[in-house]
Amino acid sequence: MTNSSAPDTARPEDAATPAGSRLPLIPGPWETAVLVWKRLRRMSTALVLLFILATATLVATFIPQEPVIASTVSAWREGTEGPGAGVARVLDALSLFDVFGSWWFAVLTVALLVSLTACLIPRWRVFFRNVRMPANAGANLRRLSHSIELTRPAGASEDEVLDAVQPVFRTYRSRRVISPDGRARLAVERGHWREGGSLVFHTSFYLLLIGVALGSAFSFTGQIDIAEGERFADTPLGYQARSAGTFWDESDHRGAITTIDDFEVTYLDGDNRFVADEFVSTVTFEGADGTTRTEEIRVNHPVHFDGLTYYQRAFGFAPQVTVRSGLDGSDLFQSNMILRDDGGFWTGRAKITQGSDDPARPLPQIGMEVVFIPDASITDEGFRFNSPEPNNPRMAVTIYSADDLGLDRTVPVSQLEWPESAILGSAMITPGESAGIGDLGELGSLFEVEFGGGEITMWTGLQVSHQPFRWLILTAASLLLMGLIPSMYAYRRRVWVQVEDNHVLVAGVALHRKDRFSEEFEDLVSRVRGALPAATGPPPSAPAELGVRDPVPASTSSAPHPPSSDRSDL
Amino acid sequence: MTDTALAQTSNLLFTVALFTYLGAMISLFFGLAFTKVQADGVEASTVAGSRARTLGMVLLTGGFAIHLISWLSRGIATGRFPLGNMYEYGSGMALLAVGTGLFLIRRKYPNLLAFVTVGAILMMVTSLLLFAEAGPLLPALESYWLQIHVSAMMFSSSVFIVAFTFTVLYLVKDRAERKVSMTDTFGGSTVGAAHLAPPDARAEEIVGRVAEGEEREVEEASATAQRDVVNPLLFPVVPFVVVLVFVLAVWRAFFPAMLAASAFALIGAGIWYAIPHLPPAAKLDNLAYRTTAFAFPLITFGIMCGAIWAEEAWGRYWGWDPKETGSFVTWTLYAAYLHARSTRGWRGPKAAWVGVIGFGALMITYYAVNLFVVGLHSYAGV
Repeated sequence: MTNSSAPDTARPEDAATPAGSRLPLIPGPWETAVLVWKRLRRMSTALVLLFILATATLVATFIPQEPVIASTVSAWREGTEGPGAGVARVLDALSLFDVFGSWWFAVLTVALLVSLTACLIPRWRVFFRNVRMPANAGANLRRLSHSIELTRPAGASEDEVLDAVQPVFRTYRSRRVISPDGRARLAVERGHWREGGSLVFHTSFYLLLIGVALGSAFSFTGQIDIAEGERFADTPLGYQARSAGTFWDESDHRGAITTIDDFEVTYLDGDNRFVADEFVSTVTFEGADGTTRTEEIRVNHPVHFDGLTYYQRAFGFAPQVTVRSGLDGSDLFQSNMILRDDGGFWTGRAKITQGSDDPARPLPQIGMEVVFIPDASITDEGFRFNSPEPNNPRMAVTIYSADDLGLDRTVPVSQLEWPESAILGSAMITPGESAGIGDLGELGSLFEVEFGGGEITMWTGLQVSHQPFRWLILTAASLLLMGLIPSMYAYRRRVWVQVEDNHVLVAGVALHRKDRFSEEFEDLVSRVRGALPAATGPPPSAPAELGVRDPVPASTSSAPHPPSSDRSDL
Repeated sequence: MTDTALAQTSNLLFTVALFTYLGAMISLFFGLAFTKVQADGVEASTVAGSRARTLGMVLLTGGFAIHLISWLSRGIATGRFPLGNMYEYGSGMALLAVGTGLFLIRRKYPNLLAFVTVGAILMMVTSLLLFAEAGPLLPALESYWLQIHVSAMMFSSSVFIVAFTFTVLYLVKDRAERKVSMTDTFGGSTVGAAHLAPPDARAEEIVGRVAEGEEREVEEASATAQRDVVNPLLFPVVPFVVVLVFVLAVWRAFFPAMLAASAFALIGAGIWYAIPHLPPAAKLDNLAYRTTAFAFPLITFGIMCGAIWAEEAWGRYWGWDPKETGSFVTWTLYAAYLHARSTRGWRGPKAAWVGVIGFGALMITYYAVNLFVVGLHSYAGV
């Protein structure tokens, strides 16, 4: 952003009064725009905006954000969690439950971007000018912080000297210039990458923002929990939860079919035996064009197929449960139930019948609740879980029946409140077993529930996303980092070499990290001395080195460094 | 999978390293106490003082070696990169903070090293409170991006600890220098005064020149005067009250609160005593800036790696999870600090305070978000 070196904020014409008017008028729209622009160009404005950004973000760290954990936010709104419903209403009014989606955050972002632009445009201009034109040192190089006079080799022309010296500054940018008093001069500079890197760093934010905006506009994310052996298609209805960007169209679903062939989970041992070590889904994809591919999806190893990326997200037990009518034996329900971990128990619910829509012939609604225990023993103190694996699988099935269990509502079944009075009966069964629920005496029972035999089926939770323009975001981030490093570690130095009558004048100045420059200058001088061409004429009678200015100590700078060319002459 | 004997050795070495650091810290402060700042600003150690200082340096280097072995053996014992929980992370942070201190300022500023050691000890004690038995990692944490991400975060945090130490000392020293210059009849320009009103764009240059040229003069005027002009009660009392209130508010435990508060009071008193022994404010400010400028690209890289890892593990590169949000705040504040240091009207103590707030955000992101806020990163916690 604007360096303090840009003297643009303190000019008198900053005043809002337009030239020529006698009264200090109320600024018109143009004047206001100019005023705002000038205000936004200030570094201190950018700083204040950065602080507001930081504060807003800090608030978002401690207030639950709706897009991240919607359930906690609704608990805050109801007052069951957090500081209470009243405070939550205030937070809502300030859109603090969705800071990053709020209008004021958008305004802040735009203000920061305008401020950034206002700072960057003049800086790029100055930067290009500085890089193109060699820096002007003025006539007197001796006034610079570091300068030294070396003996000019007798008989060597100005050009010969400079030609010989130039290779010393290989890592610098060196150019031939003519000094104001008409002497040949070598202008050497380095450290442009300090400003250049800073400009790249700041400019790559635009690229980053473009990448993020495009990426989210064209993105799609869907989630699905699905049992082994089942399949789902990439269609709008194929997912249990989905979110898409503005430009994601339903026709963008290509209809790839994913079949879950297998799911495997391994656990750690010892005290960590309840911690999953690795879980892997083996799936077969079938593209719309008929290509098929079998892949393993594991945590940290997503799989790409047909423009979508499949991530392993969650897993659980999905035992097969069948409910038949006890009266005629007809199937009422048969499915792999998706069960979720509830402190060692795996629970899930399903609706068996929905009841009747006809108010004249009311039928009760029937729902089922399943609690699955993979491996536990019952002790005096209650359940003791032995292992997360289904070594001793048991299932408690409870059937509820009431006129209204809420099954016709859009709320997920797991969130409904079912009263205990609605319990029709329950049974504990093991794989392959079946039990009757709802005793009808001699007629048998109302329902027959069966736990499917064989190995317990698992379900796998997959996330399917389409996130384009990630390459752009990564490029922007890499540019950002690549710009940042030189902007911190490159130091600007300017050095001039000028050939005078009796000596070669080397002078330099450091614009940053001045405490290091003396050493560097000394090193450069000794290398210049070594590079000077050999004397071909009589040695000058004048003292070898006329004046050595501080801070290069005379003793070290005039230390004998026999030039290599001299030595070859001997 | 976990080698218990080796893990126990590692724990033992950790404790040994902690006590060695304590010894080093005491020796370095002892050395400081037996050193006089003379009227001409040169420090003159008594024999006991220079011996204590040498002992401190030896202990610190030895402690660093022991600590390093402890950390590495933890990694070997668990068969993975030793950055899997807050104990290991904190241990690594303290280790690298000491390493950075030893590397940067061992020769020139042994007095500053004493304070870096204080920071490392605090970090290690906190790690001990968050101790977790050596164990394997959750599957989501098994990724080489994690290792790069977490090491970059840890390394940058450790350098930020060192930078924070310099910043705090700078703020104290700057205040003392200003006060001395105000009571000084000569009213000469001091480093602090140069910060007050940089007349033009070359302010930085001038500050630099003042630091170089008039260092001696400042020292002369303020050998022990700098200690006398600031309120000696403030230094132990303020940390005591702040830490006491904080620990009581969060954990409601009286004795640990008193203990922690007393420790911080002691540190505050130590800072007060060391004021004349500290390098000039401009030098401290420069050290703080340079260490921050080193850590900042590193934390940027770390956050980027975290985004890449999140993309692989969770299917999105950025989701405003509390930890992500916290790291963004920290990043923004440190960026503001770096900008403030080159902005007219912000240089000097004002910019330094931004750095202090940035460090606060870093600590909140590390401790509070890991321990108190539920998010995707919380399993990466204790």
